[in-house]
Amino acid sequence: DEKITPPPEGIQDKTAFIFNNLNQMNLTPKCEELKEVIGTDYWPWVSQYLVMKRASIELNFHTLYSNLLDSLKTKELNVQVLKETHRNIKILLRTDKSAGNFSDRALLKNLGHWLGMITLMKNKAIILDDLDIKSLIVEAYRKGLQDLLYVVPFAAKIMESCARSIVFKPPCPWTMGIMNVLGELHREPEMKLNLKFEIEVLCKALNIEVGELQPQGILKDDVAYKIMVPQLSYAQRD
Amino acid sequence: LMDELTLKGVTQYYAFVQERQKVHCLNTLFSKLEINQSIIFCNSTQRVELLAKKITELGYACYYIHARMNQADRNRVFHDFRKGHCRNLVCSDLFTRGIDIQAVNVVINFDFPKMSETYLHRIGRSGRFGHLGIAINLITYDDRFTLQKIENELGTEIKPIPKEIDKALYVASYQQEGAHEEEEHNG
Repeated sequence: DEKITPPPEGIQDKTAFIFNNLNQMNLTPKCEELKEVIGTDYWPWVSQYLVMKRASIELNFHTLYSNLLDSLKTKELNVQVLKETHRNIKILLRTDKSAGNFSDRALLKNLGHWLGMITLMKNKAIILDDLDIKSLIVEAYRKGLQDLLYVVPFAAKIMESCARSIVFKPPCPWTMGIMNVLGELHREPEMKLNLKFEIEVLCKALNIEVGELQPQGILKDDVAYKIMVPQLSYAQRD
Repeated sequence: LMDELTLKGVTQYYAFVQERQKVHCLNTLFSKLEINQSIIFCNSTQRVELLAKKITELGYACYYIHARMNQADRNRVFHDFRKGHCRNLVCSDLFTRGIDIQAVNVVINFDFPKMSETYLHRIGRSGRFGHLGIAINLITYDDRFTLQKIENELGTEIKPIPKEIDKALYVASYQQEGAHEEEEHNG
């Protein structure tokens, strides 16, 4: 991991001020202001600030921040923000979940929603090297309830964005592959009610009937579906 | 009515300032905090309009409402604020139920109120599971006794503002999941 250099305090203050006063109507002038304040050197820091201090917490402004990325039209920033989003997701997926840290779960859910917006909703793929959602769900199932409580709401929040994507809306095979695993999970008699509910809400958003999903019987069968790269274990190294 | 409002979950601070330093102080707060949405209270309708005008010139994005506007306009502004069209709201005292907008994580008393009841209406949250938030009071020399009086009457503590405010005191992620947890225990 390369070190991210934070800008001098004055620039940090101005950035916070811009974000605290950003809304849909002043997006264009505030973008210009941000570019002026940041110059060319601190985009990695801004990406980190946007993801960690804003998107992971301020779920209600995800559309606004996604529009901000669009109107800034800075390719480097988009690349950095995506990288930073995945970095934070990986950290949260690998944390010790036995303690049931509720704020971690909320952060992960928020980051899932954010990830869906800046990729799927903009018709960009989530590549397997960054995050393998299907494998992640299976892995969580095999690990147990604590992991499912993290992973299912997270995956559902990502997939929500498929509803507003020309490329990824059902019956896109990638999307349906993940939905079918969720459908299989939904049929588990012991499944926790609120996780079933998360899946039903997602199906509704995507205009799918839960009953029409086609489970492949892969959750319990580690011959039929082998997890190639574990994503949940915190002992794992890059 | 006062029984229904609680200060639980709201961390309260004061900053000792002179009247002419208040806007500067507000600038500092807006440069140091991560504000989702904020409400800024003034003691009179004129001061609401003056402050809103002043800070808009300084690059803030804010709406304002006060008691002298007609009800339809007030509703409209409040509705738009709730929707997140604008992030900051300057207003006089017209909330009688406590603020129930989850996104508001920072409330600023630009003018400190005279009565503890007013203070509670501005800062207090309705319901037992109030959202996390911080309240910041700008206190002038003239307010020093009122501050003590209100603290005593409400049985609460208003601390001097520290250099760094712990994010865990006002970021939303804790609260959302707190409600979720209730559900899980019940279901």
